Amino acid sequence: MPKIKPRVPMGEQPPLQRIKNFKSVPYGYTEDEAVEEAARCIQCKKPSCEPACPVNIGIKEMNLLIAERKFEEACLLVKEDNSFPACSGRVCPQEKQCEGDCILKKFDEPIAIGKLEAFIADWGAKHKVEVEETIANNEDKHVAIVGSGPAGLACAAECRKYGYAVTIYETLHKAGGVLQYGIPEFRLPKDIVDAEVKKLEEKGVEIVLNHTVGQNIYYYELVSQNDAVFLAMGAGAPKFMGIQGENPLDGVYSSNEFLIRANLMKAYKFPQWDTPIDVGKIVAVLGAGNVAMDAARTALRLGAEEVHIIYRRTKEYAPARAEELHHALEEGIIFHELVNPVRFHGNDQGFIDYMELVKMELIEGEDGKLHPTPIKDSSFYMGVDTVIEALGTVPNRLFLDRAPEIKRDKKGVIIVDENHMTSVEGTFAGGDAASGAATVIKALGEGKRAAKSIHTYISSHDD
Amino acid sequence: MSFKITKMIDLDSIDFLVDVEAPEVAERFHPGQFVMLMTRKEGERIPMSIMKVNDGKISMYIRKLGKTSKELRDGITSFENVIGPLGHGIEEKKYGTVVVVSDAVCGHAENYAICEALGKIEGNNIISIQTFPSKKEIYPDEYLTKKIAHRHFITTEDGSFGDKGSYVTTLKRLLDNDVKIDYVFGGGKLPTMKAVSTILAINNIDNLFTTRQMMVDGSGMCGSCRLYIDGEMKLSCVDGPMFDSRKVNWTRAMKRYGMFKKEEKIADEYYEAHKGGCGQCQK
Ligand SMILES: Cc1cc2nc3c(=O)[nH]c(=O)nc-3n(C[C@H](O)[C@H](O)[C@H](O)COP(=O)(O)OP(=O)(O)OC[C@H]3O[C@@H](n4cnc5c(N)ncnc54)[C@H](O)[C@@H]3O)c2cc1C
Ligand SMILES: Cc1cc2nc3c(=O)[nH]c(=O)nc-3n(C[C@H](O)[C@H](O)[C@H](O)COP(=O)(O)OP(=O)(O)OC[C@H]3O[C@@H](n4cnc5c(N)ncnc54)[C@H](O)[C@@H]3O)c2cc1C
Ligand code: SF4
Ligand code: FES
Repeated sequence: MPKIKPRVPMGEQPPLQRIKNFKSVPYGYTEDEAVEEAARCIQCKKPSCEPACPVNIGIKEMNLLIAERKFEEACLLVKEDNSFPACSGRVCPQEKQCEGDCILKKFDEPIAIGKLEAFIADWGAKHKVEVEETIANNEDKHVAIVGSGPAGLACAAECRKYGYAVTIYETLHKAGGVLQYGIPEFRLPKDIVDAEVKKLEEKGVEIVLNHTVGQNIYYYELVSQNDAVFLAMGAGAPKFMGIQGENPLDGVYSSNEFLIRANLMKAYKFPQWDTPIDVGKIVAVLGAGNVAMDAARTALRLGAEEVHIIYRRTKEYAPARAEELHHALEEGIIFHELVNPVRFHGNDQGFIDYMELVKMELIEGEDGKLHPTPIKDSSFYMGVDTVIEALGTVPNRLFLDRAPEIKRDKKGVIIVDENHMTSVEGTFAGGDAASGAATVIKALGEGKRAAKSIHTYISSHDD
Repeated sequence: MSFKITKMIDLDSIDFLVDVEAPEVAERFHPGQFVMLMTRKEGERIPMSIMKVNDGKISMYIRKLGKTSKELRDGITSFENVIGPLGHGIEEKKYGTVVVVSDAVCGHAENYAICEALGKIEGNNIISIQTFPSKKEIYPDEYLTKKIAHRHFITTEDGSFGDKGSYVTTLKRLLDNDVKIDYVFGGGKLPTMKAVSTILAINNIDNLFTTRQMMVDGSGMCGSCRLYIDGEMKLSCVDGPMFDSRKVNWTRAMKRYGMFKKEEKIADEYYEAHKGGCGQCQK
C-alpha cells in the first residue's frame, strides 16, 4: 500500500465569523484542491464506494477525470446518474454512504466524494456544462407531479427527457421542497436550488405554484387530465412531543415553522422582509437530527446567546450528518446527552420560561436494542426563552384525507410496488411521501426511477 | 405573478373593502374559506377571509393593523400572490333558522359570505347580527348583511347604536324570546367567541366559528396554527378554520397572539420610516 496523502482540507468560514451570517460555511474546493483530492483515489478494481451510493454515481471515474483536469467530462458523467449533484454533494450523509465504504477509510480519511461532487457540479454551472438531450416528441402525453421537492424535480427532469408534457403542482410560492424551505442557506445556498428549478423550466417543465392538490386543485382533476400522476408530497407535517404545557406557550415552535420562517420567508432579513421570527437569548432544540442541527444553527445566527441541543440518547446516536454535528459543535452549540423534557412552564406573558427535564439511561431491551429510559427522581430544570421541537416530520394528511383511494400505511406513508405504482393504476409515488422522512438523494433516485416506470406505463397504454 | 386590485373602499377608516382579480380562487370558493395574501415578494403570507366572489374577483374586508395592511392603505395596486381558497367551506344546505354573528373584520367577511349563500337556499331563515365598536365604525349599508339576511341586527360595544355590547347580548335576547335556532355561524374576536361558546353549549346549538390562529403556510406544514379541539391537537388551516365553538379550548387559542408583538412593532416602524419609496435610505 503506497503512503496515502491526507485529505485536502476544505476552506470554511471560521465559526465566530459564520455565526453572524447566513452565507455558505464551506468555500468549496478550488480546481487545484479538487485535483489534489481526487488524485488520492487509488482507483480500486472493484470500487466499494459506488454500490454504497443510492444512485450509483461512477465515483471512481469521476475522481480520475477530476484528477486529469477533465472537468467537463467529469461533470457530464455525474449528471448521468444524478440530476442535482450541487445539492446532493452538499447534503448527502456521505459518511453513511459512499465515503463510509471507501477503501481508504481503513487507512486514513476516505476520499471527500461529496465535496468533489459539489465542486464538479459548481464548475459545470459556472462553465455552463449541459447534458445534451434529445427530447422525444411525446407532448400529447401529460404527466402531473405533485410536489416540487427533489423527488418531484428529478421525476420531472426525466419525464421531460421522454418528451412528455410535465406539470408540477406546488403548495408553496417557491419550488424546491425541503431544499427551499427547510435546509438553510448556509448549508445549501438557495441560488443553487433556484438555478436547478429554472433549468427545468427552460426545458419545458411547467411549475404551477400556490396549488395544493386536494385543496385548490383536486387529485381527480389531475387523474382525468393526465396520462400519469406522480405523488411527491414529501412528509412535511410537523410532529410535536405532546409535552404538558406545550400549546398555550409563545416561544415554542415546531422546527418546520422556525425553518420555514427563516428560509422560505427569509425572516433573517427582517424587517426588510416582512415575516418575523422571535428568538430568545436561550434556545433549546429538542432532537439531534439534521433538522435539529439546522434549527439550532439558524437560531444562533439569528442572535441567540446560548443554543442547547436536548437529546435523549448519546451523541453517537445522533441521526444528523456528521459534518452538521461537527459544525454545530464548532459553532458553540451545547449538546446535552441523555436528557428528555417532560414539562414546559410559562411566565405571566404566556411565554415559555423554563422546562422540566429528566435524565435518561440507555437500557438494553428484549429486542437487543438500547432504549432511552428515564432515571427515577432525576428531574431538573432549565431556563429557556425559545424551544424548537425538531422531532422529525410525518406525511401531511391534507392530501391523503382527500384521496382515500390511495392506499397508505398506518403512518400515512403511501404504499407502492416495485415500479413505484400506488394502489391506483397510473398514479405513482416516491420520495418521502412513499417512504417516510429519508434523504435528498433517495428522493432524487426514486423520482428518476419512477419516471422510468411512468414511461413504461404510458408506452404500454399507447394506442 | 401579479393579482390586480380593482377596488378599494374605506369602510370606517380602519377596515377596507378590497377587490382583487383572482379568477381561479373565485371559481372554487365556498363560504368560510380564506386566502393567503402576499403584498410583494418579500411580504408575509397573511390569511384573509373571503367575503364575496363576483366575476373572477374576490372581495375581502381588510383591517389596517400592522405593516402589511398599511401597505394597502398606502396604495399598492396589486398583490404578488393570492393563494387559495384554503380551509374548509361550510356545507351549503338547508339548516332551518340560522344565526350568523360577527364582531370584527374577519368575522364580518364570513358573515356576509354565509348569509349570501344560505339565504339562497329554500327553507333557511337567516338572522345576522353584526357588532361594531361604536356608531361611527358601522360599515355603509351595502357592506353589511342587511339586504341578504332575513333579519339583521347591529350592536355596538359602546351602545351608541342598537343593543349595547356584543352580538352575544342580541343572541341571548333571541333565545329568551324563544326563537328556535338551528345553527349558529360566526367569527371575530376570540374573547367573544369564548363567551358565546358557553351559551351555545347550554342551549345545545350546533355551530361553527372561525378560529383566527397565526398562520405561516396555510397548508399543514408549520404547525403554527395548532389548537386544541376536544383535547386533541388540530390545525386551523387544514382542519378548520371553522370549528364547533363548544369544543375549542379558547383560553389556549388566545395565548399565541402575543408571540410576535415585538417584531410587529419593528416592522411597523420600519415601514413608516421607509415607505417613501425612493430607496435612498435602504442603501
Ligand atoms: C430541515 C431539514 C434538513 C434536512 N437535511 C437533510 C440533509 O442534510 N441531507 C439529506 O439527505 N436529507 C435531509 N433532509 C431530508 C430531505 O430533505 C428529504 O428527505 C427530501 O427533501 C425528500 O424529498 P421529497 O421530494 O420527497 O419531498 P420534499 O422535499 O418534502 O418536497 C415535497 C414538496 O411537496 C409539496 N407538497 C406537499 N403536499 C402537496 C400537495 N398536496 N400539493 C402540492 N404540493 C404539495 C411541499 O410543499 C414540498 O415542496 C432534511 C429535511 C429537513 C426538513
Ligand atoms: C383564517 C383567518 C382569516 C382572517 N381574515 C381576516 C380578514 O378577513 N380581515 C382582516 O383584516 N384580517 C383577517 N385575519 C387576520 C389577518 O391575517 C391579520 O390581521 C394580518 O396578518 C395582519 O397583518 P399585518 O402585517 O397588517 O399586521 P401585523 O403587525 O403583522 O400583525 C397585527 C396583528 O395581526 C395578527 N396576525 C399577524 N400575523 C398573522 C398571521 N399570519 N395569521 C393570523 N394573525 C396574524 C396578530 O394578532 C397581530 O398582533 C384573518 C386571520 C386568519 C387566520
Ligand atoms: S472506494 Fe474510495 S479509493 Fe476506491 S474508487 Fe471509490 S473513492 Fe476511490
Ligand atoms: S398555517 Fe402552517 S400548519 Fe396551519
